[in-house]
Amino acid sequence: MGTRVAARQVLRWTGLNATSVFSPLQFGRCLLQPLCIGCRLLCSSSSHNALRSTQHNHELGPQPREPVPELSLPSLVDMGFTDSQAAQIHEATSKLRGGDAAQHALSTLTALFVLGLNPSSVLKLLEKCPELYTVKESQLQQRMGNMRKLGLVEGSLQRVVSHYPQILTVPVKTVKSVVVFLREKCQFTVQQVTDILRESPAVVLENMGQLEYKFQYVYFRMGVKQAEMVKSRLFRFTLDEVRCRHCFLERRGLYQTPDKKGQTVILNPKLDVILSVDQDAFLAHVANAPAEEYEVFSRLLAREWREEERQHGSIEADSGDDDDDDDVEEDEETGGKGGYSKRRKK
Amino acid sequence: MALLSDTRLLLRKVKDLRCLTPRRNRVKEKWAVTRTKHPPTSLALQHFDSTYGVQLCQLWPSVRAALLSERKYGALLNNFCHDAVLANLEAQGCRDFLRDTDTEAQPSLEQESEVAADDEASGASISKKSDIDGQQLSPLHLSPHIKCLVFPRGDITRFKPARPDMCGLLGYYLMDAASLLPCLALDVQEGHNVLDLCAAPGGKTLALLQTQCIGFLCLNDASVSRTLRLRKVLDSYVPKPLLTDEKLRITSFDGTKWGDIERNTFDRVLVDVPCTTDRHSLMEDDNNIFSKIRTGERRKLPQLQLELLMAGIEAACPSGEILYSTCTLSQIQNQSVVEQAIFLARENHGIQLQVVDLRPLTHMFRKTFHFAPDLHLGEMVIPHVAANFGPIYMCKLRRLT
Repeated sequence: MGTRVAARQVLRWTGLNATSVFSPLQFGRCLLQPLCIGCRLLCSSSSHNALRSTQHNHELGPQPREPVPELSLPSLVDMGFTDSQAAQIHEATSKLRGGDAAQHALSTLTALFVLGLNPSSVLKLLEKCPELYTVKESQLQQRMGNMRKLGLVEGSLQRVVSHYPQILTVPVKTVKSVVVFLREKCQFTVQQVTDILRESPAVVLENMGQLEYKFQYVYFRMGVKQAEMVKSRLFRFTLDEVRCRHCFLERRGLYQTPDKKGQTVILNPKLDVILSVDQDAFLAHVANAPAEEYEVFSRLLAREWREEERQHGSIEADSGDDDDDDDVEEDEETGGKGGYSKRRKK
Repeated sequence: MALLSDTRLLLRKVKDLRCLTPRRNRVKEKWAVTRTKHPPTSLALQHFDSTYGVQLCQLWPSVRAALLSERKYGALLNNFCHDAVLANLEAQGCRDFLRDTDTEAQPSLEQESEVAADDEASGASISKKSDIDGQQLSPLHLSPHIKCLVFPRGDITRFKPARPDMCGLLGYYLMDAASLLPCLALDVQEGHNVLDLCAAPGGKTLALLQTQCIGFLCLNDASVSRTLRLRKVLDSYVPKPLLTDEKLRITSFDGTKWGDIERNTFDRVLVDVPCTTDRHSLMEDDNNIFSKIRTGERRKLPQLQLELLMAGIEAACPSGEILYSTCTLSQIQNQSVVEQAIFLARENHGIQLQVVDLRPLTHMFRKTFHFAPDLHLGEMVIPHVAANFGPIYMCKLRRLT
């Protein structure tokens, strides 16, 4: 009885979302089977009490030892997977440990279907990120809700989840702290933050210090403002990549840090022109340099940064290169420098 | 009470010692809160961008990146040190660039060229056929017994500092490998009297001493402190018996006066003039000739360089050879100075000079260094990130009269 009501509710819910990507028919089919789960999901988004009451109707009682019937091959096939796909999932889930593992797995699968992903996407996603199987259902819902609140509405949310499923393994608190950082410290607008999350979701798992350094480097040293950063999808690239390409251009004289008024003598190439092309195109069109030069240069630069970091860690850089260089000196008229001890900057 | 007020007065006085501090010491980097707005390194960079951008055209971005990156050193081997230095360094992966060349000498030509008696000597002469008119280029003579190890192209490994052997002499001297080329080109032969007009801090001097065939070596540098440094370098590398007054003389006179002091005396003269030292000027703010306070000095450099070269020409004997070298890319300090010197020597002193072709040298070492193409006078090593030596300009003159 309760299940029929629930079924109608579910259908209504899918009807509400009929305007989105997926078709209700396909939906209805995969949902009607594990209906109890469906209505459990629906109820969980509204209230926890309902969840507890519907649990009585559940076939999925607290029976951790027994293999869950819904995760059997036929049920997987019914969900919409092909035989081989179902076999893969079955294998992956059978490896999971913990009593509630299978339960979580099932809820995860359902949640992903509710989101509107088709079976092959779901499979790819889970292969990319098997940790998803172990995420609790409430957490999953919380996180997805948070995404929606941040502006990743239907369409974007599906895309982000299918390209970067790890985002659902990140707790809401972490995501919130990243968003706060982007909004307050980096002064991105709300829309820009949404764009960043959509284009470069990996930003939520990045080290805060690195993120900050990268932003400051691009903002101050390269003189690039927020709008351009978002447009060029800056956060998809690592700090080292950005720095290396920028320094190469800078030392060749093709890029200049803008002065206080934001002016430069030369016309700087745009950030997306610098970053979004692959290395060969970058060398051919932006830098006009052979690959060998860039390769040696990047090694030199990497060593420079390592030593800079070491120095900042207040450990004296290894002054193993005590070299007397013949051509460094020039004619000194003053001679008064005898008292100074010359410290050569490395 | 009286005492305290005195100290307070005293302290107040003591705080303002600016009037007593010499100008050059007023801003000490370790005390200064902010850096100067336009440090000499950025002034130098601006200056180079405008001059060399025009002079080098397409090559300039690559040279610029190399100048701003870490330089590459070579290890000049100390023949007076008895440790197995060569073997150790070669084990680390470096090669003697003097022997690691792509020689194209054909077998028939080798009979005509003079082969050095000692096989290990790097002074093997090579005759080359000129492609253009079928004439043979003059055979290439290099100063013998000089060995210098460098890491291969693209390898950015650093050398460890040299260690002293049992006699206290260091095994190798780290210097820009391109600075050796002027010493090689000078072609010191047995018993020659050699003058080095601007010898400090001593890398090229050391290379000349490695040849072990100099009759008498005169070293001069205008600055006393730098001459002291030169002495220290020689003491660390050369055994005392070779530094006696019969073999060596170190002076701190004004090099431009040498035409009056010792005319027509030397077989070989090395004139390694003070210049804007491009690489140093871009990387170090200390002692930088592009500081505003040294603008006058920098403007007078070409004049000083010309005078030194003239003095070197006058000091050389007829059929003696003079090698002019700088470590800058600037045409004003390089070709122009040599051209003017040739002209003035003929006009004022009646000295005829012939420019010696150094193309065989550049051809021989093209695997290790990048040379500037199509220089109408002299040769120049230009920096490149994979072979970050130089910049070095050199031009060899021979006195005909």
